[in-house]
Amino acid sequence: MLSFLYARQSGLDDPVRLRRAESTRRVLSLELNHNRDVARVHGNGINTLDIEVIDGRYMLSGGSDGVIVIYDLENNSKKLQYSCKTVCTVGRSSRHVHKFSVETVQWYPHDTGMFVSSSFDKTMKVWDTETLKPAEEFQFDGNVYCHHMSPVARKHSLIAVGTKDPKVQLCDLKSGSCIHILQGHRGEILSVRWSPRYEHILATASTDSRVRVWDVRRASGSLFTLDQHNGDKSKASSEAVNTAHNGRANGLCFTADGLHLLTTGTDDRMRLWNSATGENTLVNYGKVVNESRKGLKFTVSRGCSPEFVFVPCGTSVAVYGLHSGELITMLRGHYNNVDCCEFHTDYQELYSGGKDCNILAWVPVLRQPDIEDEENNSKRGGTQAAVNPAFEDAWSSDEG
Amino acid sequence: MSRKRALIADTFCLMKRRRSAADAVTGDSHEGAADIRSSLQNLMTLFSRKLFNDSLPPVVLKHQLYSLHSDKTSVDKQLNELRASGELLMFQLGFDSEAFALVFAEDYRAKVLQGEAGRETLETVEKFLDKLIPGCSDLSFNKEKMLKEFLFTDSEITQLVKSGVLTVRDAGSWWLSIPNSGKFIKYFIKGRKAVLGMVKKSKYGEILKTELEGRRTTSHVKFQMKYHIHDIVGAELVECIQTTSGTLLRYVDGNIN
Repeated sequence: MLSFLYARQSGLDDPVRLRRAESTRRVLSLELNHNRDVARVHGNGINTLDIEVIDGRYMLSGGSDGVIVIYDLENNSKKLQYSCKTVCTVGRSSRHVHKFSVETVQWYPHDTGMFVSSSFDKTMKVWDTETLKPAEEFQFDGNVYCHHMSPVARKHSLIAVGTKDPKVQLCDLKSGSCIHILQGHRGEILSVRWSPRYEHILATASTDSRVRVWDVRRASGSLFTLDQHNGDKSKASSEAVNTAHNGRANGLCFTADGLHLLTTGTDDRMRLWNSATGENTLVNYGKVVNESRKGLKFTVSRGCSPEFVFVPCGTSVAVYGLHSGELITMLRGHYNNVDCCEFHTDYQELYSGGKDCNILAWVPVLRQPDIEDEENNSKRGGTQAAVNPAFEDAWSSDEG
Repeated sequence: MSRKRALIADTFCLMKRRRSAADAVTGDSHEGAADIRSSLQNLMTLFSRKLFNDSLPPVVLKHQLYSLHSDKTSVDKQLNELRASGELLMFQLGFDSEAFALVFAEDYRAKVLQGEAGRETLETVEKFLDKLIPGCSDLSFNKEKMLKEFLFTDSEITQLVKSGVLTVRDAGSWWLSIPNSGKFIKYFIKGRKAVLGMVKKSKYGEILKTELEGRRTTSHVKFQMKYHIHDIVGAELVECIQTTSGTLLRYVDGNIN
């Protein structure tokens, strides 16, 4: 660590390199910390989490009871022990609360004045954060599994919605109606994701085992379908030709630079794809246990040198190296199945929520103070507050 | 959860991590430079030839290699290189879409010709093997390929299916297969189920690997115990946990078997 600091100081190294090395070290030391807690509000499992991108301060969570909660993640108290409090809630008593389970929530990408939630009551609501009333409500024919708004969009304000219907719907925030339908899938759409690199590229995953990548400006069909065998038709059985997974494809995540796409499926496999060509990079993660009947929400780290994938696997969260495919560690702490996880980029923290109604915060372990310094401090007497040895000097005296 | 040694990123690693004592005891190798060919040969020695009256070449499953080498992606890459060079053949066995069988090309050729000796299909099979072994690394063939590229006639294709080198996949396409492998698959599945049952029935559903190797096998288990252990560890049907007394195999719930 000191060598990195010196290299940064003297100009030998790029400034980014120190940041990346320290971020990676912090992610590798993620642990449950008894000083950090998130207030427990949900009465039923937590389905989705989202941290806003502007400040990284507020977190949204949506639960199986239809309740939506906003938490303040920042620690303004001077104490080490901190419990993330709720700022406001759309509870069961609210007139506008969702009737059934909330499946996906997402902050408006440009500010926290608005957020969008979609639920099994076949509606998607656009909420005003100040008044907690829906400004807009979109009705659909089937259960809404997921929705996503593009984080980089400047020219459009489309929300892609995946429902029980095989047609992907694009709803426009400006006009308030569903203006576009993407046809091509033959099963329920379990996950949709916009690319963080290009504002017109959308990926969708469906129960027909296919993952399609679309350019929404194009009128005819999808750009390409992800094929796990890379076009080698001889490897698959005839029904499984041109599929991304051998079971339902239920999770999608772009890497932070948008160059790669990760997909998970109920065949217990996770695959990494080149998002420009649709080629399977054949990184073998092994068995990634996946029994989810709905979409699986997983996340990728940002700002680290070997990037990490955090996938909920049963009752724990598995951490894999993105390009190496090796299992780094399993984060165990939940009492029941984990449904969603979200990575906080600035502090390298992971928040995960599951059926046990808990949101757990995985915090990088701080370096413990040396034991020798602690002894010295206690010898000098209890009246003097412990001074960091770096700030001590040899000439000031305690008596005067 | 406390770890005795914290995970360290490669950039901070100045000295190699010392291997745990258990590894040194059991002799498992986790070297950086994976030599797939020697691992394959080691695994092939575990295959019981006598069981099939020497009619089958030694068969190893792809996921058995995953139990010997920790980096699955590099194992896959090296296997693809071996297949491209024509040394190794890969087959899709019917029972699992992820289970692939690996056979050395010379062994395969020798056994197939040995099985075909004296039959009228010998010439066709020889012709097919000549086309297959140096160049082609496909797992299945469709009619167009057989007729146009390989220049086989319909009757010759029928002969190949009869000899067991091709198995029907669907109308107009065939899997490459090992002749007389039906018995192998039957014994393999039965043995796998029996070994998994042994792990499951142990106290707490877990058993030390060395203890499992020493157990008496029932009549259902026809292969060597080590062969099956590599299989269930590589296919992640059991969880492999390092303890101070060696490797522990714990049954994973949620298995269909």
